[in-house]
Amino acid sequence: MSVIPEHVRAQLKARFDLRLSGPVHLTLYTRPGSSRLILPAGVGCATCEDARQMAELLKDAAPEKVTLDVVDTSRDPGRAIADRVDDVPTIAVGANTEVGRIRFQGLPTGTEFPALIDAVERVSRAEHGLNPASLSELARLNEPTEVMVFATPT
Amino acid sequence: MSLANRMALASPQIRALCVEANEFPRLSAEFGVRGVPHTVVNRRGAFVGALPERDFVAAVLEGAGVPVEASPAQNGPSTELGG
Repeated sequence: MSVIPEHVRAQLKARFDLRLSGPVHLTLYTRPGSSRLILPAGVGCATCEDARQMAELLKDAAPEKVTLDVVDTSRDPGRAIADRVDDVPTIAVGANTEVGRIRFQGLPTGTEFPALIDAVERVSRAEHGLNPASLSELARLNEPTEVMVFATPT
Repeated sequence: MSLANRMALASPQIRALCVEANEFPRLSAEFGVRGVPHTVVNRRGAFVGALPERDFVAAVLEGAGVPVEASPAQNGPSTELGG
């Protein structure tokens, strides 16, 4: 079952036609799923298939600009460790072929879906939109910093 | 979460991770998530709610252990809320 209605696909394609300029690289970290079955933590992945469909939706909306790399962490656990990915599904958004520093852990629905679309568009345009004072402040960070934001679908 | 993402785009030091709280209840419990957006910096300091840009940046710096020098007034007006 597709989680993405056809009219959403068409809207997204039209939007990306207007708003994407440069390349965007998505990396989906996944593992073989169990669909909707609820399994013990660390076993299976209830939302990985939906996340794959969502990542493919983004790629298919602008295939000339958006690329997608799928990493099966059950087959390549070292890649997840190297990329500092703790759990699946995770979608990383970056430019070119780099592994992005903008990441969505879990199925990005609800309020997270617009944030994912916004991230793709901003990465494509290299447009953070922060004010100069904020940039000046952020320049004082001299060590890697993780900003983890918990959100919910509603 | 958009502000966190934009900060990651602006600064090579930042990695933004948006977590679907319901899907990872153990992680949510570990960080005491009771409401959203709930932001955790370097898995230590946390704040809840959508903040204006200047306050969000200040909170991230504080969470990263960087002394916050600029007062909110120096950052100029900001009405955008983020998380």
